Amino acid sequence: MKKIYSLVLIVLVSLMTFGTIFAQEGTKADEKDATYEKIVKRGYIVLGTSPDYAPYEFQTTSNGKSKDVGMDISIAKDIADDLGVKLKIKNMDFDSLLVALQTGKVDMVLSGMNPSAARRKSVDFSDIYYKGGQSIIINKKDSRIYKDKSSFENKKIAAQTGSIQYNLAKKQIKGATVSGIEKGTDLILALQTNKVDGVVMEKPTAEAYASNNSGIKVINGGFELNDDETSTAVAMPKNSPVLQKKINGTIAKINSKNLIPQYLKEAGTYLKGNTANTSMLHYWKYFAMGVGYTILISLVGVIFGFITGTLLALLRLSNSKILRMISTAYVEFVRGTPLMVQLMFVYFGLGLFVNLPALTAGMIAVSLNSGAYIAEVIRGGINSVDGGQLEAAESLGLNKKDRMRYVIMPQALKNIWPALGNEFISLIKESSIVSIIGVTDLIYQLKIVQSDTYRGVAPIVVAMILYFIMTYSLSRLLKFYERKFN
Amino acid sequence: MTKEILKIDQLTKKYGENTILKDISAEVNDGDIISIIGPSGAGKSTFLRCLTLLEKPTTGTVFLEGEDLTKKTQKEIEHVREKVGMVFQNFNLFPNMTVLKNITLAPVRVKGLTEDEAQKQALELLKQVGLSDKADAYPDNLSGGQRQRVAIARALAMKPDVMLFDEPTSALDPEMVGEVLDVMRELAKSGMTMVVVTHEMGFAQSVSNQIWFMDNADIQEKAAPSDFFSNPKTDRAKEFLSKILVK
Repeated sequence: MKKIYSLVLIVLVSLMTFGTIFAQEGTKADEKDATYEKIVKRGYIVLGTSPDYAPYEFQTTSNGKSKDVGMDISIAKDIADDLGVKLKIKNMDFDSLLVALQTGKVDMVLSGMNPSAARRKSVDFSDIYYKGGQSIIINKKDSRIYKDKSSFENKKIAAQTGSIQYNLAKKQIKGATVSGIEKGTDLILALQTNKVDGVVMEKPTAEAYASNNSGIKVINGGFELNDDETSTAVAMPKNSPVLQKKINGTIAKINSKNLIPQYLKEAGTYLKGNTANTSMLHYWKYFAMGVGYTILISLVGVIFGFITGTLLALLRLSNSKILRMISTAYVEFVRGTPLMVQLMFVYFGLGLFVNLPALTAGMIAVSLNSGAYIAEVIRGGINSVDGGQLEAAESLGLNKKDRMRYVIMPQALKNIWPALGNEFISLIKESSIVSIIGVTDLIYQLKIVQSDTYRGVAPIVVAMILYFIMTYSLSRLLKFYERKFN
Repeated sequence: MTKEILKIDQLTKKYGENTILKDISAEVNDGDIISIIGPSGAGKSTFLRCLTLLEKPTTGTVFLEGEDLTKKTQKEIEHVREKVGMVFQNFNLFPNMTVLKNITLAPVRVKGLTEDEAQKQALELLKQVGLSDKADAYPDNLSGGQRQRVAIARALAMKPDVMLFDEPTSALDPEMVGEVLDVMRELAKSGMTMVVVTHEMGFAQSVSNQIWFMDNADIQEKAAPSDFFSNPKTDRAKEFLSKILVK
């Protein structure tokens, strides 16, 4: 018995170490204007970006490793160089970027972000470094129907969730149904599969997509725009005057040297390289890495979930009313809120106090979540043990701990083994949510491959098959052991 | 002067409005073999379980060797139970352990015996109940009679001062009743104090020195077996015996 405990412990410790090593570095929040000093002291600046917005930022593969490239990345490098620090890039969903900035997860954001009035309320912006127009992408076959935004009255149109384009479509196209979609690639996919009639997108990005997809075409949106809505700037935490000055300096330099067209051209070359080979096999490393992280997170989730779950179940069966209440409250609360919210709470919320890398935050959230479910499974398992067993153990004078350890738990575990396996299987599927904070699990990799290859459906199919292979082989394995057990 | 092992004083047990045991007083002395008989629903099992506080009495007290059990904490009760062996109708062997481990668990964990000492003692007890060859078997592979004999050995391993039997043969196939009763007879001969809830009238008559006849939540009659079976005093006992004899 002791051997098993120590074995489990070793596995856990090594998993945690593994997780920490591979986790992206995070940064801690500072209340005042210390961002600049922190960056200099630390020797690197953390850029937050959502690399699915070519040619601003997207991912490309070199030597089997994916890296972020694009105009914004080039500018970010210049900023880091001028500050005399290294550049670290943290990828996440566009929606999460501002929160990450506010909670100190990143020091600056370059992600084709328009400095709108609303955003200015929560973060500061640099001078504008690029002005692009707002275009609409349509299917080529619809060229006759759609000329500009006025053709979309009462039609269906899509834009990136939380973006300027989304608001433009809402405000300036009468009667249109506007859907918000997280990823650029999914927007194009929605268009190609006729879910929407058009996609509002920043001009250079729209053109990048059009040049890689023969079926679509860019038209001028004809939106009435003010400076905020056509321009792109660097976002940084509020009250960072020094950082802001430095970044503005870099932007001025870039503008005076007229480097932007060159950066865009470089981005174009990467894009061509990306789309040279779009077979899914070519991207197997992405998927393999995604599968690895998905399994890692689920495994950690089920192991720690089991530990938390056992504790909670024991608390729930204890004699103390307070302990019972705590456990019940925890279980009910966790089961009554979505994992996604819990994940964001752990990453961004706890991130205010502790520096949690995304992977660690993901593991914690998934473990805490599965703990609540496993607690109920274990409680059921304990209750399913015949009452006579407890009486016999009691009548022999065994104390409560020994009764649990030697008599009740071994029998309960045997009963709940299948349910635990099912929990593991559902964790493999549910852990996919960690991709929103940038953990490179299978869903995350699926999106990367989508944006790299501009192929919408094929990566989805691959990910689906991979998920199925994982869950199916696991359930076969469990069946095998279940039979052996009995 | 005989030593008093158990003393029950004005014991009452209620479940809500239901009175299961009503104001019972009785004593068990060292070496007593007491058979508790009576119709189903009379409260026999509940009474027995109150003696080791598996059921908590609603009012009244139970003394074990002079100590008031009802005043003890949960933790102290655990120590008291070392002295009281209990054998259940459904054996309640631990299915996740071998026969040997079933018997050694409590002596090792509660009494602090070493694994070796406990095993040596367990093997002797298995020999005593005629199951030396089953030490490494799992309970699921034993017959009912064998399981109950292991359960008796398990209880004896704690070297209790008194053994309580809760209908030990009721769940057994008829051909297995004998082997369990034989073990109990041997035990009685060895001088163990025993309280047995039973429907085995032959056993009650031949082995015990006292019959407690229970009906209607109370002990209606306490008598020596010879008196009770030949000359019951209460009408209820007469009625009960006549029914059994007709059977």
